[in-house]
Amino acid sequence: MDALTIFLPIAGIQFSILILLLIGFTVGVCGGFFGIGGAWIVTPALNSFGFPMSYAIGSDLAHMGGKSIVSTIRHGKFGNVDLKLGGSMIVGTTVGIEVGARLVMYLERIGLAEDYIRKVYVVFLGALGSYVLYDYVSHVRASRQAASEGAAVPAPSKLARRLQRVHLPPMIRFSTSGVTCSLWLPVAVGLVTGVVAGVLGVGGGFIRMPALIYLVGCPTLVAVGTDLFEVMITGAYGAFTYGVKGRVDLIAAIWMLAGAAVGAQLGTVAVKYVRGYSIRLLFAVTIFIACASVLMKQLHFQRASSVLILSAGIAVSGVILGLLVAGIQRERRERANLARTNQGDWS
Amino acid sequence: MRRPAPNQPAEGWWRVIRVVPFAMTAVVSAAVPLAWAAGGKSATKLVNVADTRSLPPGFSKFIADVYNDNLLLYGLLVVAVMALTGLILGVILDRGLVLLGLNLGKLPHHE
Repeated sequence: MDALTIFLPIAGIQFSILILLLIGFTVGVCGGFFGIGGAWIVTPALNSFGFPMSYAIGSDLAHMGGKSIVSTIRHGKFGNVDLKLGGSMIVGTTVGIEVGARLVMYLERIGLAEDYIRKVYVVFLGALGSYVLYDYVSHVRASRQAASEGAAVPAPSKLARRLQRVHLPPMIRFSTSGVTCSLWLPVAVGLVTGVVAGVLGVGGGFIRMPALIYLVGCPTLVAVGTDLFEVMITGAYGAFTYGVKGRVDLIAAIWMLAGAAVGAQLGTVAVKYVRGYSIRLLFAVTIFIACASVLMKQLHFQRASSVLILSAGIAVSGVILGLLVAGIQRERRERANLARTNQGDWS
Repeated sequence: MRRPAPNQPAEGWWRVIRVVPFAMTAVVSAAVPLAWAAGGKSATKLVNVADTRSLPPGFSKFIADVYNDNLLLYGLLVVAVMALTGLILGVILDRGLVLLGLNLGKLPHHE
């Protein structure tokens, strides 16, 4: 076991390579599948294993940038990355994060930040998870009803369609997403999600992904891929700024990236075998777990909260890998059946 | 600046030029909040010195030396190493998946 423990000279601690690989792999699978950075899994997990908090955040951001490159390459080949949309959003997102950070400073000055933000976080996560779950259940019901009546399944996200109809020049066609809307819509969505991310002190991937679906009207897979593109850019700059402040342990980040790259590749390929709404369902479950974890932290069960988030991350990535294996087997069976049918036709 | 009429030779350049302020705004506005998130002053308890006394010569020692000598260079090294590692691993693993015989073409965006 000692052979698998290394000295991290920058964080100044002995740390297990296996734990770094495991954390990286877990968050890689979840990140590639949901289009998120996964800081809310990595940071408490590293910290609970003895990593100083500021180094945990910096090293997480560093590995996040590299991991998102792996996922973005694959999602790009799947046709899931809308570069134009991602580019439009990034200005709004970053300005929003700045506004959110200033709001936090104000809350700190009046002594409300710590308690208030965590409560808002819990309510926000609960509401977000509930909405995504409600949307999934509504879709399943509508699909069943449509199937029994022989009608087409109604188009989802009425709010997105309403927002797309707002005619505020310049109007832009986002061809990968199949959406035409005012440029101000993605900028505004970026701004709003940025403010929320800034206030809550998170990267914002898990807010942007549903926002892209429900407010802009992107297909789920494009929302996942485009969100990862943004995570890649913010992760790279975050790595730089934390690196300059000496808060990145590069050796730890490289080991985590080694695990995350494999996980991210598998998580990304798993989206091929899962329908968009199934991704949304699993996402809602993950959000509820994150909500429970923050609630436990609010109730001062710090250690239990970290254990919950890490074990939940492992469980969710296990489910994703299960879906991937089942999908590959199904694909191979279908291919074998097709080959047999073709052989029968020839003979 | 007046936009040239369509089909004029300068139209391509106009497209390039109008992207520049947009890209610069993106980069600058990305910098501010992340720099903010990274914190202002360094914590007084933490000293940015890596202990290299027990490290044998190699990659870890090299990184620790850069960290001790120049933090700006270290920041750049972090981004370069992460981006390069991500790119290399991404390409290698992508090739690996192709070897598994999976169909990895464009996906239909069904819901």
